[in-house]
Amino acid sequence: MRNHHASSFGDFRCGNCGALVSSMQTQSGVNNRNHCPYCLWSCHLDLYSSGDRLSACKAKMIPVGLTMKKSRNKYQISPRGELMLVHVCTDCESVSINRIAADDDPKTILEVFRNSLNFCLHNEDEISILRNEDMVIEQLFGMRIPA
Amino acid sequence: MKTTNESDEGVVFRKSLGHYSVRIDGQEIDCELSSRLHKELIYHTSASLKHKVQSIREVDKADPVAVGDRVRFVDAGTGRGMITEILPRRSKLSRPLPVPGQRVFEQVIVANADQVLTVFAASSPSPKWGLLDRYLVTAEAAGLPSRIVITKMDLATQNKSLEQDLEIYRRIGYPIHLVCSSTGEGREELKQALHGVMSVLVGKSGVGKTSLMNALQPGLGLRVKEVSQGDIGKGRHTTSHLQMFDLDFGGRLVDTPGMREFGLWDISPEDLASLFPELAPHIGQCKFGLSCRHDNEPGCAIRKAVMAEQVSPYRYQSYLRLREEL
Ligand SMILES: Nc1nc2c(ncn2[C@@H]2O[C@H](COP(=O)(O)OP(=O)(O)OP(=O)(O)O)[C@@H](O)[C@H]2O)c(=O)[nH]1
Ligand SMILES: [Mg+2]
Ligand SMILES: [Zn+2]
Ligand SMILES: [Zn+2]
Ligand SMILES: [Zn+2]
Repeated sequence: MRNHHASSFGDFRCGNCGALVSSMQTQSGVNNRNHCPYCLWSCHLDLYSSGDRLSACKAKMIPVGLTMKKSRNKYQISPRGELMLVHVCTDCESVSINRIAADDDPKTILEVFRNSLNFCLHNEDEISILRNEDMVIEQLFGMRIPA
Repeated sequence: MKTTNESDEGVVFRKSLGHYSVRIDGQEIDCELSSRLHKELIYHTSASLKHKVQSIREVDKADPVAVGDRVRFVDAGTGRGMITEILPRRSKLSRPLPVPGQRVFEQVIVANADQVLTVFAASSPSPKWGLLDRYLVTAEAAGLPSRIVITKMDLATQNKSLEQDLEIYRRIGYPIHLVCSSTGEGREELKQALHGVMSVLVGKSGVGKTSLMNALQPGLGLRVKEVSQGDIGKGRHTTSHLQMFDLDFGGRLVDTPGMREFGLWDISPEDLASLFPELAPHIGQCKFGLSCRHDNEPGCAIRKAVMAEQVSPYRYQSYLRLREEL
């Protein structure tokens, strides 16, 4: 029998909240799902590129903040780019930037953002962590919330 | 029952349904299996089968005789004979052969080989390293040393990552031969490596195994795939039968048809890591000792070795993928 939690391929059980996460593309809208849609924690599975599953670390990755990725896709709605989640590995401290999936909980994303205002990432010159709440809300909910 | 002093000893060089080419003193005898061996076989593999006709097909599925086998046979004259006994094997290279509606059989690809030559083309078709890992594990399980042969080096410029990929295997210690059947590059070194032993070529269809045999020994004149755009490396197999050849410079070489499926036979999940030479030294060092599966258990020494760049992440991934199959 295959143990979901132990598997490096396919569905997995979230190492943080215990939810069973489907790797089905139709549900998440992304090709490689590493993070849990409920708590947004991830697992350090990729090494050189997203979805390569070449990392031997496999430790939990904590969502630490949000960043914008310049979009090369001409169909992208936002001219500023795509809102991305920044994860840091709880074991080896490597940082990764991940696409937000269609079924990720926007409230939890906002929570991650608000928490990120309280601390600094040590390599913040390489990744610019978003600090503008209005912009995040606009990206998440498609509107500006009146002050 | 025949007694041994009435029979001769030869080596199986070729076989086709029910017929075995047994070589003795440079002469080929066309042999069949004795009914005793037949019966033994039928009894062994398909106690449940009732019909004789089906049983004969069964012989084809799980042939007890493999190319490379040393056999005793009774010479019936006029170049024909009957195999009465298969002598103990020094080695066997096996893969599982699934038969729809029945169980999986062991297919001995070749018996008594001394080494495995895993053949990949530099390009057209581009190498599948996961398949190489499969071959290497199979050879390790058979206790046979492997060599990695990269053919079509004239096309190497089309494969930018070739050297980097090969470095992984060089570091582990597998000997690598870069050859080109059209220019003769690497031929002499390979001949030396083949000298005096029995080697078997394994590789997908179209990688150039038969071309390599022809280049090593021009007299063979074996049929290779015709050069046609788009066809190379895909589709039809050119070599349809496994066949062994005596090499003029000493040694024996077995050409195999490209094998599409190459599963692992009789390897337990617990043993798999020991068949990756670079993982072997870390076994037993994990927090959970010998019960560690080396997947995501805490304190796994193998994962640690990958993180420390002592083990290639690609090889580790091959280990995990193969493990899921077992
Ligand atoms: N450019 C180039 N082409 C080669 C070389 N060696 C073989 N080929 C071509 O590759 C194709 C396949 O060669 P084969 O020797 O038939 O391949 P195989 O591995 O025996 O294939 P199967 O018998 O189907 O398993 C042929 O078209 C050969 O001409 C080489 O060194 N360079
Ligand atoms: Mg061939
Ligand atoms: Zn979770
Ligand atoms: Zn990590
Ligand atoms: Zn381990």
